[in-house]
Amino acid sequence: MSTRLISASSLVFLSIFVIQESLISQFRLPGGGFSILIIFALSWAIMSEREVAAVIGFAAGLLMDLSQSSSGPFGQWTLIMLLASYGISYLGYGDDNFFGGAIGVVFSIVLANFLLEIMFLISGPLLGVSIGSFGQIFTILLGTSVWTLFVTPIVLPLFAKLHKTIFQAGTLA
Amino acid sequence: MSRGGQSRTRLLLVILIVTSLFLVTLDLRGVQLLDNLKQGTQNVLSPFQRISNSALSPIKSFFSDVSLLGRSGSQIEKLEQENASLKLELLERADADVQLQQLKGILDLAGTAGYKIVNAKVISQGSYQSFAQTVTIGSGSNAGIAQNMTVLSEYGIAGIVKEVYPNSALIQLASDPAFRIGVRIVNSQQIGFLSGRGERSAVLQLLDNSTDINEGDVLMSRGSIANRPFVPGVPVGYITTVDNSAGTIAQSATVRYYTDFSKLSVLAVVVGGPSSNPGDALVPQKPKPIPTPTVTVFVTPTPSPSN
Repeated sequence: MSTRLISASSLVFLSIFVIQESLISQFRLPGGGFSILIIFALSWAIMSEREVAAVIGFAAGLLMDLSQSSSGPFGQWTLIMLLASYGISYLGYGDDNFFGGAIGVVFSIVLANFLLEIMFLISGPLLGVSIGSFGQIFTILLGTSVWTLFVTPIVLPLFAKLHKTIFQAGTLA
Repeated sequence: MSRGGQSRTRLLLVILIVTSLFLVTLDLRGVQLLDNLKQGTQNVLSPFQRISNSALSPIKSFFSDVSLLGRSGSQIEKLEQENASLKLELLERADADVQLQQLKGILDLAGTAGYKIVNAKVISQGSYQSFAQTVTIGSGSNAGIAQNMTVLSEYGIAGIVKEVYPNSALIQLASDPAFRIGVRIVNSQQIGFLSGRGERSAVLQLLDNSTDINEGDVLMSRGSIANRPFVPGVPVGYITTVDNSAGTIAQSATVRYYTDFSKLSVLAVVVGGPSSNPGDALVPQKPKPIPTPTVTVFVTPTPSPSN
């Protein structure tokens, strides 16, 4: 990866993180809302090679751990996002990919988002994180999935365009 | 992908997984560096959060109100007609009024008990992705706020200061699953502790199994040593359901908090506790029943045309 590609990607990542933490966090959305950073990382991971996807997941997870509202120990989201991004890239990269088409990509992001939360729920208690009542967990799982399903088709074209611009330019550089 | 490429990918994956686990271990062992990193990030983010909060203030409540659509469709329809005539500056005014009302409630509460408080606006909501319940306020250590101080809403307990930065502070709400507070029941003086569940209700566990508790009983905070993290005498909530299961070691109940955590816009941090325990001075008044007007209709029969 070229220096230009890394710096451009880092800038985009930081911008998305600032948008998530300062803009989207202003709204107390019903059902728990969505994370634009997760949607972004997963959509980029799906469009990238496995090793790039792993780095994307690692970077996104680090930023999520830096968020002050993250309740788990530092590194928990890093590990979860790394595994999720690698996994989604493993299934989605190449001509004979698992998803096939934009609708498949949207649903795979929603599913990956759901599985991320499940991974957090499983690993959280092992690392001393309190996770709340069953009703609340169910509401958040359902709510975040619905919000992700609603938001992903809107932002996916922009994220795809950004990915194409940066990675094509990076390859040529 | 070639065999060489595959082994390189695997190596990278292993390195990143080991790094993540290393970070988790460092954090669990309480390494200061990671806290400083988080603090630095928040210092950078808080001006952005403040700007966003000011810019989005008039439209923020729209999304939380959407969840009430199904419950009061006709009322919302009526309000929509009224709202059509309102202009943007009126929205801003309405927002300011709500904040003023909340502030007045907080000042009344703190004034009665003799708490010394610092008021602050909520500048950001915490993410739900980690199943935590937090908000960020726009005042920090520069305003005298420190870690583990009690945070009040206009109705009572709202949470505690979890992290503090120069110009902002992270508040762990009382609804957070990790939140615990020692409480006493106003009438029976029974003591117990209350645990958050991620929603407006919480679980009360009493230390003594012999006394009866009833629905509607009011809970107040017991207070901590040197008033941190909890000052005494703050209204917490009231009992909604009593668990009478046989064979339980400690009596338990479900409690509803007085504070509505979905509508927090102004909070107060108690920076100085009362000189004496306020006791039950802050017990909320029960709402007075509104008399139902009786309408009597007199009907006078008119003579039938056939007669």
